[in-house]
Amino acid sequence: MIEFQHVTKKYAGGIVAVDDVSFKIAKGEFVALVGPSGAGKSTLIKMLTREESPTSGRILVADRDIFQLRERELPYYRRKVGVIFQDFKLLSKKTVYENVAFALEVAGVLPKVIKKRVNEMLTLVGLENRANALSEALSGGEKQRVSIARALIHEPKLLIADEPTGNLDPVNSWEIVELLFKINKQGTIVLLATHDKEIVDAIHKRVISMKDGKIVDDRENGKYLL
Amino acid sequence: MKTNDSLTNFLITAARIIKMSAISFWRNRWLSLTTTLIIILTLLIISVFTFLSLIINKTASSMREKVDLEVYLKDSDSEDQVAALSELISSRPEVTGIKYITKDDALEKWRTKYATDQSLQNIITETDNPLPRSLQVKTKNPEDIGLVAEFLQNEDYAPLIAKLSYQQNKDMIDRLVKITSFVKKVGSGLSVLFLIISIMVVYNAIKLTIFARSEELEIMRLVGATDAYVRMPFVLEGIIYGLLAAIVSSLGLIISFKFLNPMVARYLSDIGYDVSAFMSSALYQVVGIQFLVALFLGIFCSFWATRQHLRKDF
Repeated sequence: MIEFQHVTKKYAGGIVAVDDVSFKIAKGEFVALVGPSGAGKSTLIKMLTREESPTSGRILVADRDIFQLRERELPYYRRKVGVIFQDFKLLSKKTVYENVAFALEVAGVLPKVIKKRVNEMLTLVGLENRANALSEALSGGEKQRVSIARALIHEPKLLIADEPTGNLDPVNSWEIVELLFKINKQGTIVLLATHDKEIVDAIHKRVISMKDGKIVDDRENGKYLL
Repeated sequence: MKTNDSLTNFLITAARIIKMSAISFWRNRWLSLTTTLIIILTLLIISVFTFLSLIINKTASSMREKVDLEVYLKDSDSEDQVAALSELISSRPEVTGIKYITKDDALEKWRTKYATDQSLQNIITETDNPLPRSLQVKTKNPEDIGLVAEFLQNEDYAPLIAKLSYQQNKDMIDRLVKITSFVKKVGSGLSVLFLIISIMVVYNAIKLTIFARSEELEIMRLVGATDAYVRMPFVLEGIIYGLLAAIVSSLGLIISFKFLNPMVARYLSDIGYDVSAFMSSALYQVVGIQFLVALFLGIFCSFWATRQHLRKDF
């Protein structure tokens, strides 16, 4: 489903952020991407969402080189790749419902379809009773759940979670991880980038470890090595 | 996800975009107001100078049409001599027309001119008519009049001629031509200057709204909004600035026109064309120009301002 082929990313000034990285992720997998800051996790994720382009190598998603996508195809690609962030990226003056509905509005979806889909998603993340709360009034864990609901609204095949628990306390963090498991069970690939050792060691999933832009370890039922 | 390209879908997207631009315009109303005012100022400057140069141009050209050489004949000339002279003048290449004014014609003109002044009218009668006969010579260009006049000063014809009259109008036209080119220079200079100012102001206003909404825009692109969807509210905002400005300045122009038109028409009544009608048609042209310039400003600036933003991937 996802394949990195000898992907290298060099920035101006000779910094090599990602160095000849190759790996595959199959349908339905749950993968933790770990490593210290500066290991290249973020650059790797940014290439997968096409915010950055590689200096060399290819990235295939569903057998398509995503850097061959035309500019106007890009929005449709991004709808198929859900992303959540450490800082949630919610619209603080909008309600929970509006934040999630927003993703469908920009896609030109009809109001009655939006209502149904948003309610389904809010139920999935357990926020059906908080629909009308302003997002700035939510706790960190709730905010991340809203952002998950939004990331899933287009039914993506891939959910990228970039340090989703970085701003959360342990209890909230585990709730989010549980939610990611639940989503994964429904068939969505989850790529969890984190440096939370406790979580990585406890989940018994495939772990890809990065250091200095290279993959140093990639194993099923992995541990946080570095 | 269900996507269909039906009309409803399009209308819903359009409605969402319009709503977004209206909200943005209102949220930044002081900025919007200032921007609109600058465009209004620019439009008014362009309009006033366009108007002025249109009117002066028209006046000059209508005077130019009227310029002719009046060759006053001596009463002692015979009709044959006059006919020969007329023949001679009209054979010159620069002459486009010649008209013989008899004593009766001259009297008729006199009477029309002083129709309201009985005492002046009665000074001259058919039996006692001191008004000379004349030849009205039209030339292709006003400058050619000098040539014809020079030619007539030749000793062969000079004895037949009482007086040549042309100098006065020519001076007037020269002056008008100078004024026109001056007005055009100042007008286009100022217009360009203010156009540049407007472009910068509108550009910056839209940049500011983009900046204020950068978080929202980032999220829009993140969740897969198309470039057009991200861009359209800003383009619409630019169009709103332009349209509002064009409406206000057109109203201003039309209202001041209603006041000024009678005055100007009276002042220029001697010119020999229907000043009022000309100004009315010019007014619509100028209003049209205003709307075009305003729309251009709004659309150009918003495309330019959003272009940079859309370039960088979200």
